[in-house]
Amino acid sequence: MKSSQVPVARKEGLVIQETTEEVLVYDLNSNKAHCLNQTAAFVWKSCDGNNSIPEITKLFAKETGADVHEDLIWLAIDQLNEKDLLQAELATNLSGRSRRDVIKKIGLATMVALPIVASLTAPTSVLASTSCSCLTDGDCTTQAGCGSATCNCLAVCAPPPSDPNACPDPLTQKRKSR
Amino acid sequence: MKTHRHKKASRQFSFAFESFGVKVRIQTWHKEVTDEIEARLDRIIPAALYKKIEPEKAAHVLSIGCRHADEYVIYRGRRQLSFGQNWENVLKYFDWQIRLTIAEFARERVFLHAGVVGWKGKAIIIPAKSFQGKTTLVKTLTRMGAQYYSDEYAVLDAEGYVHPFPKMLSIRGFDDPYRQIDYPVESLGGKAGTVPLPVGLILLTEYQSGAEWEPQILSDGNGVMELLSHTIPIRYKPKFSLKVLNKTVNRAIIVKTKRGEAEDFATSLLSFFENKAL
Repeated sequence: MKSSQVPVARKEGLVIQETTEEVLVYDLNSNKAHCLNQTAAFVWKSCDGNNSIPEITKLFAKETGADVHEDLIWLAIDQLNEKDLLQAELATNLSGRSRRDVIKKIGLATMVALPIVASLTAPTSVLASTSCSCLTDGDCTTQAGCGSATCNCLAVCAPPPSDPNACPDPLTQKRKSR
Repeated sequence: MKTHRHKKASRQFSFAFESFGVKVRIQTWHKEVTDEIEARLDRIIPAALYKKIEPEKAAHVLSIGCRHADEYVIYRGRRQLSFGQNWENVLKYFDWQIRLTIAEFARERVFLHAGVVGWKGKAIIIPAKSFQGKTTLVKTLTRMGAQYYSDEYAVLDAEGYVHPFPKMLSIRGFDDPYRQIDYPVESLGGKAGTVPLPVGLILLTEYQSGAEWEPQILSDGNGVMELLSHTIPIRYKPKFSLKVLNKTVNRAIIVKTKRGEAEDFATSLLSFFENKAL
């Protein structure tokens, strides 16, 4: 049980970039990007396989000069677990309380920022470059955020034009050479 | 008509070009069709940003085939992308696929889906999905004296500088809100930028009627997360993309705000930019 209380940050299959305040992590296996704020990043970096949770708590208290409750570290561990950023999942120790309850409790008592790991799934090239161009309705399902899930007569994922005469006549739009 | 289709199986007509290190072959079943696409290449990619190459040197193949009596099919490699009957629409979709191929596989560049203008030696990048007023804002800023860089792609190099991709502006709404017509920037009273610029400001915005200029400044990390949704090669080259995005945000202010009418908003934006980013 003791060893399971010593978290190890996952390093394999990750691209890591440090910004001025946060750490960005890109998971090559899941194509998910994570942004760890300073608190979450400190905890993650401290997960070296040697530091237990009480030790990380002490290290963080020393770093920030603030009183730090162990729950704050568990809150970070809980998120790192969930985002698959630890080598092995740790049994969380939030004493049966929900994350919200813990945030409410330590959020009021702490002077340091709560750990936050924000995540998103990286878009495919089509999704990142959504033009809402289409030839079929199927083209619209791969492009989120267009005006419609159906392809209109102007080749746009959008409702039909208000003026029906705006639609090109398919018979006159065929290539003449054919 | 059938003769042409049958010829497709035995012969293909192609040309090829290279843009940003991406070598693309365009291939169709008919010489006249291939010539038609070749003739409009300048509309798809700015002329200065590509050169013709021998077709056999290309690594990517985009093609249009013809099936049944009245249907055109678009392929990337052997993968069918889409199909349609209206030739003009097929060409528009094909244009987008050509640009997307370059944007995804460009060497030593990261393409963001974004509008870009230059102002007093620094760039403003406006990442956004379609129909969020990106081109309208770019057009307005250009009319106010900003240099036009692109209404579709911010092309970032390894140092986070943005390069011009001055394709014609695709403007909607003259006769129908969804019909898009292409205009050279000069015809709108603007001028295209020609040199790479450091990024001074990244603007995350979408239109909301009556919205005021209320900028919220984001941290670098949150800024990169916002940009990721518009980063075309993020899955193809995540390491390089993240590095470039990080360098870009490191020099820039990242601002999030709703926007109302383009004219008023552009005035507030440029005033903010001059005070905070220059």
